Amino acid sequence: MNLMENVKMALASIWSNKMRSFLTMLGIIIGISSVIAVVSLGQGGQHTITGEFEKIGANTVLITVDSSKAELSDYITLEDVKQLKEKVPYIRYATPVFQVQGQANSRLKSKRAYIIGGTSDLYQVDNIELAYGRFYNDAEYEEGKPVAIISNSAAKSLFKMEDVVGMTLDIGSDFAKKSFTVIGVVKNQIEMFSDMTNEDNLPAIIYMPATTLKQLFGMYGATTQVYIVADSKENIESAGNLAVKLLENRHGNRGREIYKAEPLMKQLDQINNVLGIFTTFVAAVAAISLLVGGVGVMNIMLVSVTERTREIGIRKAIGARTGHILFQFLTESVIISCIGGILGLIFGIAGAYGLGSIAGISPYISPGTVIIAILFSSAVGIFFGIYPARKAARLDPIEALRYE
Amino acid sequence: MIRIENVTKVYRNGEIQLTALKGVSLHVKPGEFVAVMGPSGCGKSTLMNLLGCLDSITSGKYILNGKDVSTLSGNELAYIRNKEIGFVFQSFNLLPRMTILENVELPMVYAGVPARERRARALEALARVDLSERIKHRPSEISGGQRQRVAIARAIVNKPSVILADEPTGNLDTKVTVEIMRIIQQLNDEGVTVLMVTHEPDVANYAKRIVRMKDGCIIDDYPVQNRTVL
Repeated sequence: MNLMENVKMALASIWSNKMRSFLTMLGIIIGISSVIAVVSLGQGGQHTITGEFEKIGANTVLITVDSSKAELSDYITLEDVKQLKEKVPYIRYATPVFQVQGQANSRLKSKRAYIIGGTSDLYQVDNIELAYGRFYNDAEYEEGKPVAIISNSAAKSLFKMEDVVGMTLDIGSDFAKKSFTVIGVVKNQIEMFSDMTNEDNLPAIIYMPATTLKQLFGMYGATTQVYIVADSKENIESAGNLAVKLLENRHGNRGREIYKAEPLMKQLDQINNVLGIFTTFVAAVAAISLLVGGVGVMNIMLVSVTERTREIGIRKAIGARTGHILFQFLTESVIISCIGGILGLIFGIAGAYGLGSIAGISPYISPGTVIIAILFSSAVGIFFGIYPARKAARLDPIEALRYE
Repeated sequence: MIRIENVTKVYRNGEIQLTALKGVSLHVKPGEFVAVMGPSGCGKSTLMNLLGCLDSITSGKYILNGKDVSTLSGNELAYIRNKEIGFVFQSFNLLPRMTILENVELPMVYAGVPARERRARALEALARVDLSERIKHRPSEISGGQRQRVAIARAIVNKPSVILADEPTGNLDTKVTVEIMRIIQQLNDEGVTVLMVTHEPDVANYAKRIVRMKDGCIIDDYPVQNRTVL
């Protein structure tokens, strides 16, 4: 007697008790679908975060100044940044990030501005994508040229057009303003918001050389945050350590542990770790419902064995061996669990997309998740089916034949 | 063919012991048609269960086709039941959810016969019991006589050497009884050994030999005079 025969027989038996079979499956369906939904949302979250980090740069290290211990003389200057790039062998890019709130005025309009200053490396470090024009170069940085790159939404709002390269713009505070030439327009990075809100309400995002920014606002020109990018994954750590050493030498503050180098990927690992633990925990809770579903399968199979005692007797009388009967009932419970598992998978994926669209996470369904779901539901079928199947297989043929 | 010697069967139920067979010996040669008669509780059903390899004997010996089956395991007995014995029950014992054709095919499923051959042999067996229509119907959709004919087809489909019929006409009216007995006699004429339990003298008269039992013993064993031949 082969497997096909068994499967056919099991399907016929499941089909003849449609409602009961479905209700039995329901436990498995709920269990599998909740596990799938939780896991694929969790993995989706991890993927999104990883993707964001990789966009910023897998080799990026953030150098920070511990402001609780630091004095003003310990802050990182533009000259420090220049030295970092020139003296430390593994550093490919280095830029401070200055962030200042200000004003931007075109002939048409005045607007709140969010101004970001750095070296020309900011372009690579921040992975800026331009729709028009170019980023400022080293020369413009060195000379502190009044050039600016503005966001797409700012261009639309200030000039009522998109390609505004070559236009002039007054940028600054209420007290001091300077005329800038727009040399580039950034592709919209936060499209989700610009679709929903009027771009007039969004602040203009403006990039300019840190040197220019320094002049414009009359700042001291030192920062607590510098991003460096190592030339390869292997050198991330060395680049960070060497950078800290160089800064300590330049500021003569060795031993006070003012500077800290933190690879962004390390932060990612931490976040993913937390998210992973959370996902596992919720999935484990969901898996308990799968256990309950398995008990449901066992319960119904026991009822089925009792109901079909006479059938088992007849089968044994005409030559079914213990293994035949065992296998027949086991096949039935595995098929019930497997169909439940497949339906659960479908509902789980649907649920993950449904919940994901509400929560703003795109779920990630890995082949591993799918395979594990199917294998796990078969395992539930075997585990909870074995006892009823053995009970059936061990029935005494004469007593089974007498059963009414 | 069938030889049992000094067979006893004791049922134990806690403290109570019930001796159903008290040292029965019987020899049935190939091609015989034996009717086993006796009042209820005389042990004739127990004897049939033992001969059908559905139960194990307590003591004594059972030789079937030259093979000692008294010491075989449950699965080995299942194999013998499948290959050597065809059962016909009073209450037909067809599987209600299967079609007639599937019911007849079932013994071959357990014998490992390929699907195509199963179909052909099942149709052949059904033809031998004059049932070629309604084979895709379920047992509940045909008459009692037809059901018993399906059961006979199922019993002979694996070409057993012996058919054990336990009150095969007990649930049937006189007219249908004649039909069923004609088929059984035909099979016997073709060489199949038949053992039949009955308590009706009319039905026993279709057999060639009658064995009478009482209180777990064989009390009489004689050939049928003036046999009813159809």
